[in-house]
Amino acid sequence: MNQRSNLQIPSGVQCFYGREARLRKQVERVVGDVFSGWSYEEVIVPLFDYYEVFARAGGPNFAEHIYRFIGREGELLALRPDFTALVAKVVASRMQDRSLPLRLFYSGEVLRYQPPKAGQQKELFQIGLEHIGNGLDADLEVLLVAFEALGRLGVNDAVLTLGHAGFLVGVLEDSEVPLDLQSGLLEAIRARNTDHAGSVLGREVPAAVLEAMDLFGGPEILERAKSVATRPESQAALERLEAISKELYTLGFGERIQFDLGEVRDFDYYTGMIFELHAPGTGLELGGGGRYDSLLTKFGVPHPAVGFSLSLDRLAHKVDEERLSPEQTPRTIMLEKQPARALGEAMELRQKGEKVRLG
Amino acid sequence: MTTTIRLALPTGRIFDETVELLTRSGFALPDDVREARKLHVPNGRDQSSVLVKDRDVPTYVEHGVVDAGIVGGDVLAETNPDVYQPLDLRIGRCQMVVARHQDQRPGGYRELPLVRVATKYPEVASRYFHGQGIPLEVIILSGSVELAPVLGLADCIVDLVQTGKTMAANGLEIDEVLFESTARFIINRASFRLKARVLGEMVSSLASEVE
Repeated sequence: MNQRSNLQIPSGVQCFYGREARLRKQVERVVGDVFSGWSYEEVIVPLFDYYEVFARAGGPNFAEHIYRFIGREGELLALRPDFTALVAKVVASRMQDRSLPLRLFYSGEVLRYQPPKAGQQKELFQIGLEHIGNGLDADLEVLLVAFEALGRLGVNDAVLTLGHAGFLVGVLEDSEVPLDLQSGLLEAIRARNTDHAGSVLGREVPAAVLEAMDLFGGPEILERAKSVATRPESQAALERLEAISKELYTLGFGERIQFDLGEVRDFDYYTGMIFELHAPGTGLELGGGGRYDSLLTKFGVPHPAVGFSLSLDRLAHKVDEERLSPEQTPRTIMLEKQPARALGEAMELRQKGEKVRLG
Repeated sequence: MTTTIRLALPTGRIFDETVELLTRSGFALPDDVREARKLHVPNGRDQSSVLVKDRDVPTYVEHGVVDAGIVGGDVLAETNPDVYQPLDLRIGRCQMVVARHQDQRPGGYRELPLVRVATKYPEVASRYFHGQGIPLEVIILSGSVELAPVLGLADCIVDLVQTGKTMAANGLEIDEVLFESTARFIINRASFRLKARVLGEMVSSLASEVE
């Protein structure tokens, strides 16, 4: 057999070394320190679990991205495509007696099958947190932590776009969109494609849906949105967003936020505030998340929760290495004539914490 | 500070109509854009454009190396990119159809155990036939798809037709129309967030010129 053929790699896998590897570790450390600084506790979750765990949490559109395999006892397993479901399961099984809020964070790879597309590797490295608890304070806390994490990485130009999963629920209900058409319609709304929305519905797109697709901008759109918020879900969504907006302005983040009530995120489990983080020079989202108050119920505990994840892959492209911590130049110690002495010298330098390199 | 926008424009089928629409909307490209064979040109106000193959427009936009682009409905249906698609430009009007050889019975291929479908649009073809519960073998071609049924390579084709002349000349007949295809203005998700004002203005300028 040709030995070179051993070098073939399956599509989508990646490997990092040198500057890239160093940068990724630094980003992970900086963000992890920020999370710890806000008293988030690290959880290390398994690389695989029952397929059901992920399929149930992510919804039908997500199931197709999961790498499945059969375990040794015939059970259907899956490589983790997402952390949130795993953290929810840990909370439900191991921490159910702890009092809320629980603050947890994670970092590592998730694996998703996807056709080759923009910025979508099969292995994605995420670092994120989950705040198991309710209330405006929890929503604000995770947003502040996200801003701080980006700030410590030197990403001070990130823009936060806020929306709310409940808003569209109310609008679709009010417009009497049949349940079986909702996911197709949400896809059209996500793309802001009114023509596609019309062909999904097979009729003229209701005015409220059209208006919702256009509700994007500063806090003034929350006022405008009231005209289509006829249902309690939509009204509650606007109230929460107004409260978040007010607090963020008071805290000095007013310039960094905008709203988009037509936003639809790619997980079905969001129930409340949703958000995305973008920064100039990066054509893909740096991170995002939201509130998911019914996911834990699927694992038997009725806890509300909010969380987000950052894409380490994209952050590593964005950050300036020099700023984080430049690589230390090692002291080279020659082994040539008296190896024993050189090794002793190296050990001494290491005791002092210096970086050495035996030549 | 002015915000510059970079566009991806398709050099294929809808290039002339695209240039004309941009010119009318106040985003004129240089006069020699067709001859110069440059891949990167300035156009009106604070803009520049890259000229790329039709199929590559969604790729450039999705990655965010350009902020926005103009792309045919056929390419959009085939590539299904995660981008904003706010405006139908009503240019490059065509139909995506299933066609078969005139000697074959209309819809006869639907009764075959496995339909052999020649196409440049494997995703569109699979989605359509699978959606109807019909198994198919996709035969991917990059041009002259009309030949496939003539030579017996395929039972039918899924292709884009504008006038239908090429099909008629090769003895093909249209069986079903899958959808009407027109070009759309598409925007990168991050650019939509970060350059909302200028992109919004551009959408309005284009919208007012759309027929």
